[in-house]
Amino acid sequence: MNTVGEPLDRFRELARNPAAPPTGIHWLDQRRDEAAARLDRLSWPSRKDEGWRYTSLEPLRDPQFAPAAQPLSALLPEDIESLLLANGRVPDLVFANGRFAPALSNPRALPDGVWMGSLARALREKPEALKDHLARAGDPVDSLFAALNTALIEDGAALLVAEGTVIEAPIEVLYLSLEVEQPVIAQPRNLIVLQAGAQATLIERYASFGPSLYFNNLVTEVVLGQGAVLVHERLQEESRNAFHLAGLSARLDAHSRYHCVTAALGSAWSRTSLQLRFAGEGAESRLDGLYFAGDGKLVDHHLDVEHAVPGCSSEETFRGILDGRGVAVFDGRVLVAQDAQQTSAHLHNANLMLSRNAEVDTKPQLEIYADDVQCSHGTTVGQLEPEAMFYLRSRGISEPEARKMLCVGFAQEILERFSHAPLRERAERIIRQRLSRPSG
Amino acid sequence: MAVGSDQLDALVEQGYEHGFVSDVDSDTFTPGLNEEVVRSISAIKAEPAFMREQRLAALRHWLTLKEPNWASVHHPKIDYQAISYYSAPKPKQGPQSLEEIDPEILATYQKLGIPLEEQKALAGVAVDAVFDSVSVATTFRGKLAEAGVIFCSISEALREHPDLVERYLGSVVPHTDNFFAALNSAVFSDGTFVYVPPGVRCPMELSTYFRINAANTGQFERTLIVADAGSYVSYLEGCTAPMRDENQLHAAVVELVALEDAQIKYSTVQNWYPGDAQGKGGIYNFVTKRGDCRGARSRISWTQVETGSAITWKYPSCILRGDESVGEFYSVAVTKGRQQADTGTKMIHLGRNSRSTIVSKGISAGHGQNAYRGLVRMAQRAEHARNHTQCDSLLIGDRCAAHTFPYIEVKNPTAKVEHEATTSKIGEDQLFYCRSRGLSEEDAVSMIVNGFCKEVFKELPMEFAVEAQKLLSITLEGAVG
Repeated sequence: MNTVGEPLDRFRELARNPAAPPTGIHWLDQRRDEAAARLDRLSWPSRKDEGWRYTSLEPLRDPQFAPAAQPLSALLPEDIESLLLANGRVPDLVFANGRFAPALSNPRALPDGVWMGSLARALREKPEALKDHLARAGDPVDSLFAALNTALIEDGAALLVAEGTVIEAPIEVLYLSLEVEQPVIAQPRNLIVLQAGAQATLIERYASFGPSLYFNNLVTEVVLGQGAVLVHERLQEESRNAFHLAGLSARLDAHSRYHCVTAALGSAWSRTSLQLRFAGEGAESRLDGLYFAGDGKLVDHHLDVEHAVPGCSSEETFRGILDGRGVAVFDGRVLVAQDAQQTSAHLHNANLMLSRNAEVDTKPQLEIYADDVQCSHGTTVGQLEPEAMFYLRSRGISEPEARKMLCVGFAQEILERFSHAPLRERAERIIRQRLSRPSG
Repeated sequence: MAVGSDQLDALVEQGYEHGFVSDVDSDTFTPGLNEEVVRSISAIKAEPAFMREQRLAALRHWLTLKEPNWASVHHPKIDYQAISYYSAPKPKQGPQSLEEIDPEILATYQKLGIPLEEQKALAGVAVDAVFDSVSVATTFRGKLAEAGVIFCSISEALREHPDLVERYLGSVVPHTDNFFAALNSAVFSDGTFVYVPPGVRCPMELSTYFRINAANTGQFERTLIVADAGSYVSYLEGCTAPMRDENQLHAAVVELVALEDAQIKYSTVQNWYPGDAQGKGGIYNFVTKRGDCRGARSRISWTQVETGSAITWKYPSCILRGDESVGEFYSVAVTKGRQQADTGTKMIHLGRNSRSTIVSKGISAGHGQNAYRGLVRMAQRAEHARNHTQCDSLLIGDRCAAHTFPYIEVKNPTAKVEHEATTSKIGEDQLFYCRSRGLSEEDAVSMIVNGFCKEVFKELPMEFAVEAQKLLSITLEGAVG
């Protein structure tokens, strides 16, 4: 009996026998079918696959995830109060188990030229606007799970900003996942398209109540036109039993700017794959990441930055804290293609180990085929400085408090890159809470 | 671009200095590999039974393996059945003195600049010269024997010191280690054996000059160096090969064992034939080198200057088993023309307070491909272990490539790992500064590149530092026209 194939077979079945019938949009159904066919061809990743060398998929083997059924209409606005940011504002779009929940959402007034809403509605109202961008050939990294998502595209967030339109206020999207009777798989599919010269700030949050068991398998596609600017801030605070697999792919046209800050602080098992492709000269990107792997948790980040054209710059800074038997995996790859001259790329990963049993596997890679480049990467793994601890202790600060101060200080470098203050405060509060738990 | 394309062309066209074939009658097996070949090799060498059995076990294991494909190198498929697995210079009788050695061989060494006949007059370098597969001359035996140091070919060691060989051979690189190690374990032809007894500081730098000759003969050296408690040895390995049109496979295995407080310094200058401008010919250098710091406070240091070979696939590693043991890796790898190098190191920290340093300098020119691939692993009991890694790449020309693939695995919170890597071309400002002070472009580039490699060169023993710098400047002569 082929036990290895089991979870994959379940996913294949899911893709082939979708709860969601064909959309009736020809190009989309075609792309979904292609993805389902791809899923049939792909095999279940093992530790022998370079991309999964340090990340065990074993925990994903047993749970039987069912597709999220109907929208969770039972949820009331007051139910999600505890998840609101400190400014008390109800998010513009709220998704429950991957489906839009209009009753919980509070879309703000937006300037002309902006279309914001659920992908399902966008597909009904303006499919032609999505055709060039949604699920285009070349799935993001982790193609198995991305294919599963694509095969079942149905709902998610859509933000389409017309040429030259500037949105001042940050748009906030909350993805709420919950176990209902049995573990569910939610598969939000998000599409962010900023036409030339457009500007926006997008806040994405992934959250839950209690110890729910679910699998959030999401894909976000970002397309930036010439000179567009997107600030993208993400906070993952999933339930402590959740699986979170995020594939994010961004395509940057000339002179566009993309700044992504992402914090992975929750879930039992999470993997975030960021794939960035420079398609026009003079574009800039900055990816900042913070992760916390508590006892028995796994946090994995994969970066794939492709400098395909000359004159672009990218900077990637990721910091992680590990406690108990936490495992952190970092795999950052920067590729500079032949003739992509005048490229600047700097990749940095720092890890702080708080416990005896934690494990860090980090692999920052540079692959360079051009010569006029300035590239570097750096990695560190260490523990808290005993001198710093001693200094704080000698000033009467208790050991747990001193530890917390130093860890938050370590995280601060990333936290302060959040431009949205209420989001930064929430991320910091979660880190403090995590640090207060007794470690294993 | 600072370095003009005509200069680049000159680099690519730069001929291979050591390209010549010496005409020696070789006793060569017909190509192919099976148990019979392995038995024959063992029989010719009159090896003890345990060695024959180990070779056969290695062959049987090798037959179950697939050639690895993870390295970032590309080459036509190797037909392992088309290789001849043994080639010995025509045996006359065991040479008793230099006079009995084939004058052709002596002439070859002279062309390479190894003053074998004047060895005794020269400052303390004993040369165990390997011509193809059999050791033909060993000097300074007496002086080493006085100190109790055993320095001989592996074949000889198998005959005269079978216990020592049996105890240590394959204990660092078992035949199950990898595809090429398995192949080597089955068919290794000859190599060097060094044993330094407890408390002895080897009175001179030991050196072996390897040379690949005879077309279609893969060379499979096996080197084993054992430094017993409190001893010290410095070993120099240098290589050149004659110009050939067909790719020659070279799959060596080097094992180092350092017991308590012992220290081994292993230096390599590798300048095998890299192939022509189109990448035709050239040596495939697939080597497994590993040192085991078995005892507390032991120390193993690898220094390598890699300028030759069409493909280099080599990761000299240290297993830091002993508490407070130290591993070091200093490397300069130059690729030009169509050369490909995938090289680096592994530092496996098992002992408490073990320390390791990695300094890797890659220089890519022309269509050269240079990859650093390294692993630093801190095991759970490696309390307070430390590693510092520095990988720098220098790019000369817009068709070359430089890659860095470090793997870092840490399972102990008190361990400290730092990794830094940079990639850039020679700074315009640096060049301008030198040029404005009247240096020619060639001298300026040479100075900057030598400065870039200084950290590694200073780790080489005097004898090698000179050769390494000469080698680099020969390479650079082409690079800057």
